[in-house]
Amino acid sequence: MVRTKGYPEALEKKLHDQRYYREDSNPDFTKNVKAISRTIAHMCYQCGTCTGSCPSAPRSTYRIRKFMRRAVLGLENEALTDPDLWLCTTCYSCTDRCPRDIAPTDVIMAMRNLAFKRDIIPVNFLKTVQSIYKTGHGVPNNDVNRAAREKLGLTRDPPTTHMYPEYIPGIQKIIDHYKLKANADRIVKEREG
Amino acid sequence: MSETGANHKFAFYLGCIAPNRYPGVESASIKAMKKLGVELVPLKGASCCPAPGAFGSIDLSVFYAMAARNLVLAEQMKMDIALVCNGCYKSIWEVNHKLKHNKDLRDAVNEVLKEVDMEYKGTINVYHTAELLYNDKFIGVDKVRDSVTNPLTGARIAVHYGCHLTKPHKDREFEKDVMLNTEHPVWMEELVAALGATPVEYRNKMQCCGAGGGVRGYDIVHSLDITNEKLINLEDVKVDALTDICPFCQLQFDRGQIEIEEKFGVKHSIPVLHFAELLGLAQGMSPQDLGLDLHGISCESFLQKVL
Repeated sequence: MVRTKGYPEALEKKLHDQRYYREDSNPDFTKNVKAISRTIAHMCYQCGTCTGSCPSAPRSTYRIRKFMRRAVLGLENEALTDPDLWLCTTCYSCTDRCPRDIAPTDVIMAMRNLAFKRDIIPVNFLKTVQSIYKTGHGVPNNDVNRAAREKLGLTRDPPTTHMYPEYIPGIQKIIDHYKLKANADRIVKEREG
Repeated sequence: MSETGANHKFAFYLGCIAPNRYPGVESASIKAMKKLGVELVPLKGASCCPAPGAFGSIDLSVFYAMAARNLVLAEQMKMDIALVCNGCYKSIWEVNHKLKHNKDLRDAVNEVLKEVDMEYKGTINVYHTAELLYNDKFIGVDKVRDSVTNPLTGARIAVHYGCHLTKPHKDREFEKDVMLNTEHPVWMEELVAALGATPVEYRNKMQCCGAGGGVRGYDIVHSLDITNEKLINLEDVKVDALTDICPFCQLQFDRGQIEIEEKFGVKHSIPVLHFAELLGLAQGMSPQDLGLDLHGISCESFLQKVL
């Protein structure tokens, strides 16, 4: 599994001796992360600028640098089953500062996409999908707000899918194309009964 | 000049939180921008952008297709989009940018849009209203200053830039280079000063509000802890108000202060206003016209200072 580049024999041996290879490493994971994130995750040299820039790091065990290493090493299970995967606020500070021009935030997003394929996903994410499927909005209107809008001289419902529900079937068609609503419903039901 | 007397016309993409939680941001944007020669036309049938963190984390292919649908609605109107939310900017601007530059993504999206008789063509641009206000090609700081009838003199106002308008700056293409500075930008402070207020710097200004990436829904305590850190830094420099350009950040700071008191027993009372609301006030709109009574944290202390 270890790729070396025709170095002298002694160096080849030394490289094999390093723990670059692990039984649970899946090279496809590295490729999939790269394909979805569209960033050069494998170029990470573990400087830690990402973790140092991360607002989630000081208040949790979430370390973006660790996820970058997992991407490079193909540690799929370790990455996707770690609950810290969901603590990235996607602020892109790490991406802004990465000296290798990698987008660690997009690596996290790709890993989350891959986790969802294995039904690993916090329920609140799925509820956003359900809400958008039903109303077109992630945060829909309510009666208090309708009254307030009227006072401000606005229409009770905004001129979005709220005022023009005839646009909702199109949205549902797009979401259904990817079977996203069916999967969301199934997982929510499994978790919440 | 168009028939309505406006110099520029945009399809107004509303998103979710502005129209459905802080409608004052919507009405103030329409009225204030009109005074500055920019007409915002409703983008009929638009949906959630969709939320880049919550929705994008699940499946980016669906995220691209859903954002593209909103873009196509504006393409059909032959109008560029203006919007008021950083999260929406991330979805709508960035997907537009990605689809324009990546044929594989565009083809995949159009394959799906075909099912709803739509086609993404890549014919429009997307702007945040803050960018329109700052860029003199559209409005510019001088014009903003000239439109002020009720200067917010004496008010100390700090800026929360939020994340997704300017970050990651490597991908962004603002005409104003200063907007690409994401370590210590001051262009929003220029706009605050144009309203007659005193812009205030504070520690770790560019830190995230804590709400994004689905974290607010996933782990509210973690999310609020990030917010609380910023609020403490704001207390340190004694601000009269915090201004933002993202309704989701606004929700996190405004409603978040109530949640922080409930969960951490820490009381802050910093009024939080979207820059559109501030601009409305400075142009003479009343607090009632702006729906400031809908805010979780009372704006009274701030209003007494500026009215």
